[in-house]
Order: sequence, then structure tokens, then C-alpha cells
Amino acid sequence: MSIHPGTAAERKAPGSHTPANPAKARRRSPTRVNPALYLFPLPAVAVVAFFLVMPTLQAFQYAITDWNGFSAAFNYVGLDNFIRAFTKDSLFTNALTNNLKFVLLVVIAQTLFSLILALLLTRNSRGSILLRALFFFPTILSSVSVAFIWKFIYDPNFGLANSVLRTVGVDGGAYLGNDAQALYWVAVTQVWFHSGQMMVVYIAGLQAIPRELYEAAEMDGANKWQQFKSITWPFVAPATSIVVAYTTVQSFKAFDLILGIAGNPPKSSLDILSTRIYSTFANSEFGYAAAQSIIFMAMIALVTWLQRRLLRLTPKGD
Amino acid sequence: MSQISRRQAMAILGALGFGATAAACAGPGGSTAPGGASGPAAPSTGAVTGKVSFAHWRGEDKAVFDELIKRFAAKHDGVEVAQDISTSNDYNAQALQKLRGGSIGDAFATFRGAQFKNFTEAGIYTELKDSQAVKNYQKGLLSAGQNGDSQLGLPYQVVFPMPMANVDLFDKAGAEIAPKNWDAFLAMCEKLASAGVIPISWPGGDVGNGGQLFNCMIANNAPVDDMCAQIEQGKLKCTDDWFIKMLNQYKDLKPFVQPNATGTAVEPAQNLFSQGKAAMLATGSYHIAAVRGLGAKFPIDLVFPNTTSDGNGKYEGVYNATFILGVNSASKNQAAAAAWIDFLSEPENAGYYANQTAQHVSVDKVEYTNPDLKRLSPWLQKKTALAARFQFNNLDVRNAVEASATAVISGTSPEQAAAAAQKIVDERL
Repeated sequence: MSIHPGTAAERKAPGSHTPANPAKARRRSPTRVNPALYLFPLPAVAVVAFFLVMPTLQAFQYAITDWNGFSAAFNYVGLDNFIRAFTKDSLFTNALTNNLKFVLLVVIAQTLFSLILALLLTRNSRGSILLRALFFFPTILSSVSVAFIWKFIYDPNFGLANSVLRTVGVDGGAYLGNDAQALYWVAVTQVWFHSGQMMVVYIAGLQAIPRELYEAAEMDGANKWQQFKSITWPFVAPATSIVVAYTTVQSFKAFDLILGIAGNPPKSSLDILSTRIYSTFANSEFGYAAAQSIIFMAMIALVTWLQRRLLRLTPKGD
Repeated sequence: MSQISRRQAMAILGALGFGATAAACAGPGGSTAPGGASGPAAPSTGAVTGKVSFAHWRGEDKAVFDELIKRFAAKHDGVEVAQDISTSNDYNAQALQKLRGGSIGDAFATFRGAQFKNFTEAGIYTELKDSQAVKNYQKGLLSAGQNGDSQLGLPYQVVFPMPMANVDLFDKAGAEIAPKNWDAFLAMCEKLASAGVIPISWPGGDVGNGGQLFNCMIANNAPVDDMCAQIEQGKLKCTDDWFIKMLNQYKDLKPFVQPNATGTAVEPAQNLFSQGKAAMLATGSYHIAAVRGLGAKFPIDLVFPNTTSDGNGKYEGVYNATFILGVNSASKNQAAAAAWIDFLSEPENAGYYANQTAQHVSVDKVEYTNPDLKRLSPWLQKKTALAARFQFNNLDVRNAVEASATAVISGTSPEQAAAAAQKIVDERL
């Protein structure tokens, strides 16, 4: 049996001639197409360019200016705005610290809470369907409504929390008025607001687990914890990656909830990056606010990338 | 049509992309600000017709403006005024951008201070110096709308950002409603507390309304009248003795404000006052209509926390001339917008606005029939300081300086609170 020499391209095109230099040949034989075909994606390209690319590019440009947002005059200041954010602006670093603390709190609490809810409500009884709907209910509310409901709950004078505590003889606190605790109380609201949504993600993962695995494990004498560790967790681990990533981005951008619950501007104990950026825009520091927005965007991208690297939770199949 | 290669197509797209990048990199604010460098011009004249957008933040006055709009439309055939109302915070943040296009806010209002300054620099105002409207105002109350020789805006409202008092509770407790000095003020609070009521309802959880008390506390403490401007410029410091003294006086107030005051929003604070649980509401006369709406039936007066020790303070109270009316230089219907401002500035219409909203106005020869306004009218003649917090042009500085007072109420030492505020000021110098 003889072996036909030459490249795969030559083999699959028996009628073609063999060029002396295949690389050069690739350059010389471009695909020629009707230019009219390139007109078809143009509307989409234009929309993306106009509404996405240009504003993003402009944000980068504003970030290196001292533009105040309305004046025709401005100066290019290089990286001054970025340096200022980290070295000369304690309000920004305070907001950054608050935001990281808030994200950490919410991600841990929301992931655990929504997983526990999902585990408790996976049974297909009538009661569990009702409870699922009940826990999912906050998700369908607007964040502004949620903010105002919880603002009322936390009010020290007329609020529900202190009213209930007073009935059992306990003096409630100032909640949002206590700088040391305020962020925790908003985190409670955020977890209440979004856990139902994350619970649904977990329920979807749990319902994909074949029941036979549990039956087999029970026959082998595995207890509930062993069943969770060896069957449930491997199946819901990918859902955890989704929940953590989504919750992280969501809590980085809890702008509407914070502004609704804490007012505008929020006190420094409740100031997070998005509210700080908003305040900076309102303070007519457009260039500086644009720089803060870019730092914010980079931070979310970095944290999300780190999570993907660290949380490679995939099912351990055999 | 001849065919092109993929490489050529990529080159064309690349060139387009480069063009888009270059376009994106056109200078920010590339157009000259409306109004131009030659200074503001008077609103253009012409027929009073077409649609006028009136932008402001006083949602609570909507019905009153609706009635005034009806009366205005009855005078001018074919004219229509639409209210574009935002909340005050959103208005602060977004109004300038909205107004620049000219489609919103042919006529508009601004806050005194930083917002007025920004609008002035942006060239949003037209010159109202020679308008019919300006002649109707009390001369002494027009300064908040002036920039150099120009009268760009007309400060419409006169409000007193001082604690409002439930006169019945004061009488019942035998408390003095006009304390001469700081000790007398504290003694008054003590009497009210002994009578079983909260002396001061203070919305410490609401940055804007909680900050109004600052106007009273700083008026007689500061060494100069432009104290807040000087703090922002670094000439005066929050760590100065006079400022620390003021923070110590805030500390004196701590037993007399409601429990957990730093977490109280403005509506619950109003409720405490309206329900007779608190003798004073430390916001200002601009909340009279709100507390009446909440059912307050008692007579209301104002109390000035005189912070002097000997009673010889420079000021007997604090006022603010705000809700500055202007005509948008970018408006395409300046004639009708100017006519609307003229209409609002007529004593009869200003009087209707004042009596319906329970707010004094800067317009002269207005007859106040509202019982609350009649009762508070003597304050118009007193020696009152123009509210100092609006001297701040940087909102971060303003919030930080006012937050020092809130921090003291929540337990931070005056020295620490002052140092924290000064740090923010120093960063922004």
C-alpha cells in the first residue's frame, strides 16, 4: 500500500496543484466575498459601537481628565485620578472596604441560606411548594420596595423590629443608625431579598440527582451527612459556583438597595463603591467618578476571575 | 459590485473602529456651554404660547402648582405648563444634565449653594435683571440668585431651618420658647423632658434634614459669616476651638433627642412631633405643611438654639432663601418660560403659593392668610443669618462636616469627630 505524500489540504483536494510554499499560498488565496454581505452585520456593529464601545472608551478618556461634567474646559491629568482614589481619598477607600466586607458577608450568608432552604424544600409535598413560592416572593419585589419595607422594619421609633422587641421587654437598637452595625443590617436585607432566587438554582440542581443513589446509600447504611457529602454536594457544587459568582456581582452593585434604605447620600458606614461613584458624579467630579467606575469594573472582573479559578466546583463523576 | 477579500473587509472595519475611537476621544463637554463666554443674555421674547417644562423637586407642591398653571393658561391662550418633578436628591444629582438639552426645564428651580454655582458655571441661566419679575421681590432677599452684577435666579421661598415648636407642650411644661442663651436652651429642654415629652425630635438618619440643625448651631459660634466657605478653603478648620465648642454643644443635646436618633429617618421624626410625643422638630419651617398633613393641630412656633453663653449673639435665628427660579438658556421656549416665572412672581400668585404650601416667599407685598405663616411672620423681621451649610460647594465636605455632629450624638468624642471631618476637608483642598 502506497502512502500519498503531501499535506492534508493537498490530499483532500486531488485536483489542486501543489504550491511551492503552502504558507504563502494561504496568504495569496483569500476568500473573496461579495462586499454587500458585510453590510448585514453593520446595524448590530453600529449599535454595539455606539452604545457599548464608545461610552466605554469615553469613560476611559474621562478618567484621565479633571472634567467637571458640564464645562467645556478640562485638563488631561494622566493617572492622577487613579492615584488619588487609593492614596488621597479616604471616602473611596472606606467605600471599597465596606463593599468588600458587604460582598463577603452576603456571599457566605446567602449561599448557605439558599442551600439550606433548597434542601428543606426539595420534597414535592404541597406544603413545600407553598413555602418555595413564599421564599421566592421577595425576588419579585422591586429593590426600592424592599428598601422601604426594611427601612420601616429598622426604624427605631415606629419600626417592626423594635416594636416586637418591646413586647418582650427588650430595648431595640438604632440599627442603621449604629455605624458599627449598619452594614450587617443591610446585608440581612440583601440576603432576604435574593436568597429565594438562589434557592431556585439549588433546587434545580437537587432535582437532577437520581433518587436511586440515595436508596443505594441508605441500603449501604450511609447517614444523612454522608449522603450529603457524597451524593448531594457533588451534584450541587456547580450550582454553588453560579450562586457565588452571581451573588458577588449582585452585592458589589447593591446600589439601589443601599440608596433606598440609607438615603442619598448614605452615611459613610453604608457607602459602597457604586454609591460613592454616584456621589462623586453628583459632586461634579466627572473625571474622577469615571476613574472610580473603571476601578470598580476592574475589581468586579478580578474578583469574578479569582472565583472561577478558586471555585472550580464540578461534579465528580466516574 | 467588485468583490473584496476578507482582509480588505477587516481593514475597512478596523478603520471604522479607529474612527469610532477617535470620535469617542473627542473632548469631554466638547460643546461650548449654553450661554457662552459673553455672559448670560435676557430670555428671548415672543408670543407666550406652546409647552413649558417646569422642573423642580417639590412634589408636595404639585397640586398648588397645578392650580397656578390653570390660572396661567387662562391668561395666555395656547400655553401649557408641564411639571417635571424629581426628588430633591435626584434633582441635585441629575438636574444639570437634564436641563442642558433644553427639552426639560424651560423654567426650573435650583438649590442655593453648590447647585446654583454649578448651574451658573454651566451657563444654564438667562439674565433676569431687567425682567418684570425681579421688581416684585424684596431687594434684600435676592442675593442668593445673584452672580456678580447678574440676577440669574429668583430665590422664591423664605424658610427658617430652625426647630419647630409645639407651643401647647411648651406652655404645659412652663418652658421658655425664646431661650436667651445656651444654658437657658438646655434648661428649657430639661423642663420639657421633665414634663414627659421628648424635647427634640431629630432625624439623624437623614443626612439632608438632620443637617439643618447645623445652621443654628454654627451661626453664633463661628468667627465669621462665611465660615463654611472658609472651612472648605482651609482657612478655618473643624479642629478649631470654636468648632469643637459647637460639637460639645451637640453633645449637650444628646439627652434631649429621642433614643436612637441617629437611626431616625425624617418621616418618623415628623410623626413624633405631629403626635405630640416630641416638643420640637429640628428640621425647619419647610415641614409645617407635612406635619399638618400628619394631623398636627397645635400652634407652631420656631425656637432658635442660641449657642451663646451671654445671650449677645449676632443672630436671633436662621433663614434660607431658596427654590431659586430661573429660565433655561437652552430652552426653545424662553418667552413662555419667562412669562411663567413672571406670573409666579406676582404678589397675588406668590401669595397663593405661600398660603397653600405654608411657606413664606421672597416676593414683596404678599398677604399671608395661612395661620402658621401669620404666626411666623415676625421672624421675617428678626436678625437672622443666611443658612450657612449652603456655603459648601463640595458635597463631600459638607456631608463630612455635618457628619461630625451626628457622630457626636452617637457617642464619638467631639475632638475625634472633628479630626475625622477635617481629614476629609484636607483631602479635598
